[in-house]
Amino acid sequence: MEISVLQAFLIGIVYYLGINGTPWLTCMGSTIIQKPLVSGLIVGIILGDPLAGAIIGAAINLPFIAYISAGGAPPTDPGLAGTLGTALALAAGVSPAVAITIAVPLGLLGTIIWVVHMTVDVFFVHMIDKCALNGDMKKACFLHVVPPQIIAFIIGVIPVALGCYYGAGVVSNIIATLDGTPLKVLEVIGGILPAIGIAMNLRAISKPGILLWFILGFVVTVYLGLTTMPVAIIAGIVAYLYTGLTANAATVSAADDDF
Amino acid sequence: MLPQYLQLMMTFNNKGENINMENKVSLSKKDVLSAFWKWTFFSHANYNYERLQASGVLFSMSHLPKKLYPGDEKAQKAFMQRHMQFYNTEPHFGGIINGMVLSMEEARANGADIPDDAINSVKTGLMGPFAGIGDTLWQGTLQPILLAVGIGIASAGNMLGAAVFGVTEAIIMLTIAYIMYMRGYKTGKEGVQAILSGGKMKQLIAAASIMGATVLGSLTASYVKAQSTMNIPLGQAQLSLQTDILDKLFKGMIPLGITLLTLYLLKDKQLKSTTVMGILVIIGIILGVTGIVG
Repeated sequence: MEISVLQAFLIGIVYYLGINGTPWLTCMGSTIIQKPLVSGLIVGIILGDPLAGAIIGAAINLPFIAYISAGGAPPTDPGLAGTLGTALALAAGVSPAVAITIAVPLGLLGTIIWVVHMTVDVFFVHMIDKCALNGDMKKACFLHVVPPQIIAFIIGVIPVALGCYYGAGVVSNIIATLDGTPLKVLEVIGGILPAIGIAMNLRAISKPGILLWFILGFVVTVYLGLTTMPVAIIAGIVAYLYTGLTANAATVSAADDDF
Repeated sequence: MLPQYLQLMMTFNNKGENINMENKVSLSKKDVLSAFWKWTFFSHANYNYERLQASGVLFSMSHLPKKLYPGDEKAQKAFMQRHMQFYNTEPHFGGIINGMVLSMEEARANGADIPDDAINSVKTGLMGPFAGIGDTLWQGTLQPILLAVGIGIASAGNMLGAAVFGVTEAIIMLTIAYIMYMRGYKTGKEGVQAILSGGKMKQLIAAASIMGATVLGSLTASYVKAQSTMNIPLGQAQLSLQTDILDKLFKGMIPLGITLLTLYLLKDKQLKSTTVMGILVIIGIILGVTGIVG
């Protein structure tokens, strides 16, 4: 599949809309459009194959399923993986598992765009400081919205558009030469990479005993064949009752101590 | 720093007395809504390493100085300066702090004795706890569940998966954001403290992490894929490593083992996520080349 200049530019805009901080869709831009599940479908529509885009995007989303962006230092960038990753995977016509292996390194590259954007914006904060001293609210509002978005647009759209336009052929050629065992190895890697996203989320919500619940969820799914939604509902009910009981037990023992 | 700060305090003290004697100012419903929507859309528009959402806070209240301190340029400038302080929270749940700051500013303009310090310490003191609550409940629990559902639908070849995720998340998060912001504005400091110290919120967080961990276990089972295709020759017959040996012991032991190893490397060994990713790639190459998994 070839990617035209216009298509590459449009995919760049999809990436820009998912950059953390683009205001046009509230924070939902950087949390919904940014997800490969969503951006993959949009890239698929742009490239004329929505269904393939949706399937590839869903696969690429797996390592990022538990992605947490907190405190302004993200470990990886699902946005670049979902846009450029889906575009290159569609262009090369690879399987969803290989698409994951292509997209994950792109996610790491994407953090560079984030760092540039967060650093350049420091200048505008200092300029707004001056406005505050002079009481110039109009200029402060302008500086808060317009220049940071122009920067984000430039550093977002250009690399992604160039990557789509020039990368498509390169990646297709590489994949063609990898046919056979190397391609199979890429699939194996793509199969286990989702573990990283899951482990990072587990680490974030970690507290004593949490691993038991994790294993419970695993066993219930493997042996009872339940999908995620029923597991989530059951877990929610059990968690509510369990935490209610332990909270009651705590107040009871605290009351005992008083006597 | 200090002289400027003192100057601010003095401006405020003078102002407080003046306004107390004259007519009071109050924010209309429209003022509050406008601040909420500006916060919701633009909190991160100028997100930066030095002060993160500082100018987002100022932008969300950009219509207030003229309204609260009509004709008093000094007070307007002081307002702008005190809201350019470092601020970083989860914007939906943390909006409760912004709502609270709004009500504090309103009270202050009407002569209440609220020094700069009070407003700043409320912001810096609460932004961390609410970021923690927000990230646990939303990014740690709700989002993985909704994504898992969406991915399940999409990978089965149905384009609605993305819409199911996106629409549900948008409705839930914007509702939470609105409720939190308005609650912060209406109940002020006491209401926010009640949320933080109350047992209900602790229970909700504890329940959310249990639910999140269980769902992550389910996700591991569905989406971390490592099936062995290796066959062990036994005379005439062939023994499949996966179905005849591994599955009999414990189904899915390779994916579970790999995920637990990843967690161990991240949490106990404190390795960087990129390093762990590299280790996973090497494991994948070894498993793939030897044909243990394929």
